[in-house]
Amino acid sequence: MDPSSTTALVDLVRRAQSGDESAQREIILSYQHRVAGFVYAMTNRSDSVEDLAQQVFIKMIRALNSLQAPAQFESWLFRLARNTCIDHLRRQKLRRIFLPFSIEHEDVPEPRGAVDTEELDALRYAISQLRPQDRALLALVQEGRSHAEIAQTLKTSVAAVKARLHRAREQLRQHYQSDHET
Amino acid sequence: MKPDNQAWDQLWEKAAAQLRPNFADRVLRAARAGVDAAPSMLSQFALGAATAAICFLAVAVFQARNVHEEDKNTIADWQQIASAADDSGLLQ
Repeated sequence: MDPSSTTALVDLVRRAQSGDESAQREIILSYQHRVAGFVYAMTNRSDSVEDLAQQVFIKMIRALNSLQAPAQFESWLFRLARNTCIDHLRRQKLRRIFLPFSIEHEDVPEPRGAVDTEELDALRYAISQLRPQDRALLALVQEGRSHAEIAQTLKTSVAAVKARLHRAREQLRQHYQSDHET
Repeated sequence: MKPDNQAWDQLWEKAAAQLRPNFADRVLRAARAGVDAAPSMLSQFALGAATAAICFLAVAVFQARNVHEEDKNTIADWQQIASAADDSGLLQ
């Protein structure tokens, strides 16, 4: 991130922290598509995207004052998004245990969209085979985050990020290849 | 074969298409209205544990009262029997 955009972001976050609603709206507009993409990569359900993205931004607005370093806003926001998605996936898993015969909790695969390509289908299948933590890692890389930024988001070391990323990419490639070839 | 950037771009585009118009306005309205985000796992677990504790307490109190009443009745019955036996001179 170049210094001028960092300065602009810090200024925007500070205004949002002071309760400036236009600043809060500007943040949402700037990040909504990126957060939606991240949520979709994590959950693999397009019908969950808007609801979860909304939850992420509501949490963001409520917790903004707890952000001590506005320059780390993006890492903080995607950590929020990651935790929201992981909570959602855990709740879904619990519901399947306690409501095993509930029709709406069956693993009904999402119908293929009219514009979905084979590559998108294969990618979605491959992602669905990964653990949520690995999905988050790959989604952050696709977001354009550096290893250092990902380490900051996930509160781990750069070395750990590199090792986990290597394994996640290998698993994704294997699952993508197996689906693409069928 | 690994997924190319085009597949990821398509995934991001599809996600963006799920957001209905005026998404930002709806978020701000919901945040202002105090609409709660989905409860956390911890809060749900705490609610479940508190409910279970209240139910257990209610059962324990009810059971204790029942036992106490039964004990009272049993003692009263025995006292009656003892009194009748005393009257008839059986205990002398």
